[in-house]
Amino acid sequence: MKTETVAMILAGGQGSRLGKLTKQIAKPAVPFGGNYRIIDFALSNCANSGINDVGVVTQYQPLVLNDHVGNGSSWGLNRHNGGATILQPYSSVDGEKFFKGTAHAVFQNMDFIDQKNPDYVVILSGDHIYKMDYEKMLDYHKQQAASLTVGVMPVPWEDASRFGVMATDRTDRIIEFQEKPDNPKSNLASMGIYIFSWPRLKQYLVDNQSKNRQMEDFGHHVIPAYLRNSEAIYAYSFEGYWKDVGTLESLWSANMEFLDPEHDLNIRNRDWRVYSKSPNTTPQFLTSSAKVKDSMITDGCYVAGEINHSILSHNVKVGKNSVITDSFIMPNAVIGENVRIEKAIVGEGAHIFDDAELIGTEDDIAVAGYGEEIGGYSDEK
Amino acid sequence: MRNRIAPILNLVEYEDKLKPLTNRRPVASLPFACRYRLVDFPFSSLYNAEAESAALFISGSGHSLYDHIRSGSTWGLDSLAGGGVFTHSQVKLKADRSTESKHDRFYYEDHYNYVTRAKADYVVMMGSAFLSNIQIESLMHYHEDKDSQVTVVYKKVNRDELSSDTVYSALDLGDEEGCDISGVTAISDVKEDRFNLNMETMILSKKTFLDYLYRAKLAELDINVNNFIQFSLDSGCSVYGYEYAGYLKVVEDIKSYYDANMDMLHEDNFNSLFYRADPVRTRSKNSAPTYYGQTAMIENAQFANDCEVYGTVKDSLIFRKVKIAENAHIEDSIIMQDSCIEEGAYLKHVILDKHVYVKKGVRLEGTAENPIVIAKDGVIYAEGEVKEE
Repeated sequence: MKTETVAMILAGGQGSRLGKLTKQIAKPAVPFGGNYRIIDFALSNCANSGINDVGVVTQYQPLVLNDHVGNGSSWGLNRHNGGATILQPYSSVDGEKFFKGTAHAVFQNMDFIDQKNPDYVVILSGDHIYKMDYEKMLDYHKQQAASLTVGVMPVPWEDASRFGVMATDRTDRIIEFQEKPDNPKSNLASMGIYIFSWPRLKQYLVDNQSKNRQMEDFGHHVIPAYLRNSEAIYAYSFEGYWKDVGTLESLWSANMEFLDPEHDLNIRNRDWRVYSKSPNTTPQFLTSSAKVKDSMITDGCYVAGEINHSILSHNVKVGKNSVITDSFIMPNAVIGENVRIEKAIVGEGAHIFDDAELIGTEDDIAVAGYGEEIGGYSDEK
Repeated sequence: MRNRIAPILNLVEYEDKLKPLTNRRPVASLPFACRYRLVDFPFSSLYNAEAESAALFISGSGHSLYDHIRSGSTWGLDSLAGGGVFTHSQVKLKADRSTESKHDRFYYEDHYNYVTRAKADYVVMMGSAFLSNIQIESLMHYHEDKDSQVTVVYKKVNRDELSSDTVYSALDLGDEEGCDISGVTAISDVKEDRFNLNMETMILSKKTFLDYLYRAKLAELDINVNNFIQFSLDSGCSVYGYEYAGYLKVVEDIKSYYDANMDMLHEDNFNSLFYRADPVRTRSKNSAPTYYGQTAMIENAQFANDCEVYGTVKDSLIFRKVKIAENAHIEDSIIMQDSCIEEGAYLKHVILDKHVYVKKGVRLEGTAENPIVIAKDGVIYAEGEVKEE
């Protein structure tokens, strides 16, 4: 069967605003919601939308991400010649192929897309939390005979200047694009989701690269060039939960929102499942000293302390008399006894020793990094 | 490590006293400890020994077992180079239909074909009813070290660790360092209070296996550990016992099944079975974390992912996708996958099989000796009426 659509998930970003959490791993590989990594949402959307050919473009600290994604079998993508393919920069006779921007990353992986020879390419970013049916957007793209369709979301007008906004005419055709404007002409924010008709996009990327014109970034170069040339660009409105978890505060608040059993993401809905690579681990063990309220706990956890309105990812250990409140604990973290953790994110494999404290506020979330050790014997004697 | 064993899992096991839990599944498929099936334990032993294939002999259809095992990839049994799970189902039906002998011709041929084709030095035979975590590598080293022809795994147990009417047997150990076997005695005939329980797990060379297989065919005998020990003793071969010292429970009736699960709530047992160098592997399922609501009260309990808990759970094991409403009370119980317990229900010493619905205000109370078992898909109403869906 011919491949109609290839999805390219741009997962190369460092996510430097996540500070300590992304020192060792790329942002899309950052854990989320107890049982997931951020990229699981985009990958699951692909799987649920019937897109089985997915290229995952990685660059920064790709080890964890590569191990997590593998051949895509956790998402059921490895069927009918499809699958997830990790695309990393490589060197060739043309020189090194490190990615300078979003469009450049696609240009450098053109061989991969051409091998599949699709009609459409869906460009996604690997760091957003949402559930979306790309097939509906693709239907819209075909219906409009568009050469580019941009996924947009209405945002409150007062926030519009923080986004790239799309001004549209009555037919939802995009007539102007403003990147973080002072005076926004629209409140339709770009979600970083694009559907391109592949032959046209390829032409732009190849021609402009050969003419040595910059075509490195979709927002800064490709969309403006499409606009100048009066290509048919349409906006596709998405309504639902969508969150960019690019900062510590947004990552923390997205996790706290995720705790709500009535959350829009509806994580237990079997019709649109969010898949992940599940670790092989034991059941969760809550001892007789454990107290757990309004919290999510994942397999492999051992809990002897008190957990309030928090998420424990898999294999987290919490000792006696420790109290964890309003916090997100990533996999394999070890928390000793008499520890107090509040409004915090504890990184993968971090170790919080007995009697330590890690206390943040809503505007200043406390963070323990990947494998970081907090507390323990003090240096003073 | 190079694969050296051809494992045969004899899953034709005693299941009558485990009904209704074994109505539609073999002992090997019995759910255990929130997210496992009993067969995960022998399979994990195979995984840790880097076995590349396994032959399974199943008494019935094996449907629930196939659903769990799939390609065997969880346990590394799906390699294209020599790997595979070779299943042989309906052993009972085929035996019953056979007119000439006790077993049909293919019963012996299937064993023969698997073992001769497997690239291995040894055959390992085991079942799933002896819940344990056996290190096949150490067993193999011991076997080689003793220059033994047949080595059988045993554990020293007290009589009260087993069911009063157990069908299993003890090994009579001889003098030589206390590990050569001189005979097998049914536990009902054992006089001592402490003895060496025969765990019906053995290792022997491929050649010895094929030799015994031929004899079993001539005598129309079942292919199992006990018959093979007898062949060995009859021909004057060396039979050694290998002592297993870890956690063991023989799952042979509802009480022992219930106790095995409850044992996991004691950290030492749990650790003995799970937190060892070699992990226990099970087929992973996609799942969300378990949500514990504002009203949840938990005391010494284990849960799998995907549950929603608003009630009280004490000294119990809860499998995947179980919903427990506010003011429901669950104590000393085992609640299997997909079950739902409505408000105000009270369950104590109860085993709910998969997908059981307990309606508002139901009160079910068994005893530790005799827990109440509700069969799969049951719906329980407060009036006490049970309807099958």
